[in-house]
Amino acid sequence: MGHSVMIILGIESATSQVGCAIGGHEGVLASVHSSRGRRHAENLAPQIEFVRAQARINLSEISVVAVDVGPGLYTGLRVGVATAVSIAFGLGIPMIGVSSLDLLAYPVRHCSKLIVPAIDARRGEIFHANYRQVPGGVQRISEPAVSTPDDLAADLLAHGNEALLVGDGAVRYADMFANLRGVEAAEPSVAYPSAASIVQLAHAKALREEFVSPSELEPVYLRKPDAAEIEQQKRKIL
Amino acid sequence: MTSELTLGIETSCDETAASVVTSENVVLSSVVSSQVDLHARYGGVVPEVASRAHVGLVNPVIAQALVEAGVEPKDIDLVAATKGPGLIGSLLVGVSAAKALSLVWGIPYIGVNHLEAHLYSCFLEEPDLELPLVVLLVSGGHTILVSMEDHLQYSILGQTLDDAVGEAYDKVARYLGLGYPGGPAIDQLAVHGKNTIEFPRPIINDGFDFSFSGLKTAVINYVRQNPETPTEDVAASFQEAVVEVLTTKARKALVNTGAKGLCIGGGVAANSRLREAVFDICLEDGLHSFVPSRAYCTDNAAMVASTGWRRFLEDGPDSLDSGADPNLKLHG
Ligand SMILES: [Zn+2]
Repeated sequence: MGHSVMIILGIESATSQVGCAIGGHEGVLASVHSSRGRRHAENLAPQIEFVRAQARINLSEISVVAVDVGPGLYTGLRVGVATAVSIAFGLGIPMIGVSSLDLLAYPVRHCSKLIVPAIDARRGEIFHANYRQVPGGVQRISEPAVSTPDDLAADLLAHGNEALLVGDGAVRYADMFANLRGVEAAEPSVAYPSAASIVQLAHAKALREEFVSPSELEPVYLRKPDAAEIEQQKRKIL
Repeated sequence: MTSELTLGIETSCDETAASVVTSENVVLSSVVSSQVDLHARYGGVVPEVASRAHVGLVNPVIAQALVEAGVEPKDIDLVAATKGPGLIGSLLVGVSAAKALSLVWGIPYIGVNHLEAHLYSCFLEEPDLELPLVVLLVSGGHTILVSMEDHLQYSILGQTLDDAVGEAYDKVARYLGLGYPGGPAIDQLAVHGKNTIEFPRPIINDGFDFSFSGLKTAVINYVRQNPETPTEDVAASFQEAVVEVLTTKARKALVNTGAKGLCIGGGVAANSRLREAVFDICLEDGLHSFVPSRAYCTDNAAMVASTGWRRFLEDGPDSLDSGADPNLKLHG
């Protein structure tokens, strides 16, 4: 792939927001987000058409599709992944998967504390992982996990280091983290992964040729299909 | 004459399907990847399990449909996907994939009503069926008797007041320990049984609506009180009651509407006793019966493509900001 023509379409729909962006070597050319009414499936395709027109790019010029692979809210996540994979399949181009947690850590990469993205996982839980600053960005230093806010708070206390919490999970459970020593919450303005960040992170990955084929891209759920749902199905005899 | 091609995508429940159909209703390919084995261990369709599976399967299934049809993406003129009714998480996978292909291939998109697609499944094999028709749509989620007066013009004569007929099959099968899915299990067992038990035929002579909940309960109570009765006789007697109710109402609908024939569709239309009975009553009444191949009774994307093309000619494309509706109703 010639670097001079690399155009990346980034898609982000793993939280209550949905958005997309187009960019490449020149940086982000256009991006859009919407957050009202959880209309991921309705909004995403028109958004792609919009950013394409704003960036004056034909969809056939896109060379890579990057997508937030989660963890996040399952229905929105699937809308983004199904759309992204179909675009890559339809154009015959490779993909780059980006973690939602990486996307949240990226805008606060200049913070020297422990960086902890925390995404609202619903059902009283949070998706999270630990990151630390490294030259040129951040590095994940723990496996992505799903925990209750209580457990995450206990982890942070045990860790002992100063920490920066970022994400809609940090916002939702702000009360539980407010009084922890050394723990600070990031601005709500960076509480959602941005499609522009996907394009930027994917660009770095593309230079390292970290591509996957559409058939290899897997969403990250972190939870087995709802156990309660399965139990209900088993009991539904009469 | 140039033929236009529609790519159909179906992900409303537990089948991931794609198909290429021509504007003359010729099916060039119909690929169905069933998740039945995936859900069998849970005794029914688990929505989250289904949605996850669709994400991984939808594009490979589309690719396979194109290969089997011997066509290239540039040959496709319309992409159609089931927009409802069904499981919302599953529907959104197919709708999202279809809209993405519409964007990158520069072709129109249309969302299809799954129930309307079932009504049209009989036209896949007999494109020239004469209207008006009565269509009996029977599946795990639906039991609907429809009067089809003209193309895309129909009215609902009756539907189930409680359980869908396929649901009754699944529940009875589960009680009898026959596993999931229940329809084929009872059908196969009934072949070896005798119709020895007089189960109730709920509201058989009362309008066009159906009720199967009481029949299901009667079967379960009977087995509780008579545990020694051979299971195959229970299966045969239950199936006979179901089929008699369905065919009695369909027959009355044929008389009332003056229809030229009877079609059946939906997963339960794959039932061998129902297929036989529909054939018999139409033969007796001198009417045309049409029973699609089993592959077109159960969920498939050929019916989605074919109906999508028909709707596209009538109403034009859907906007890319349209979504899915898990509770979409049938209306002509
Ligand atoms: Zn169906």
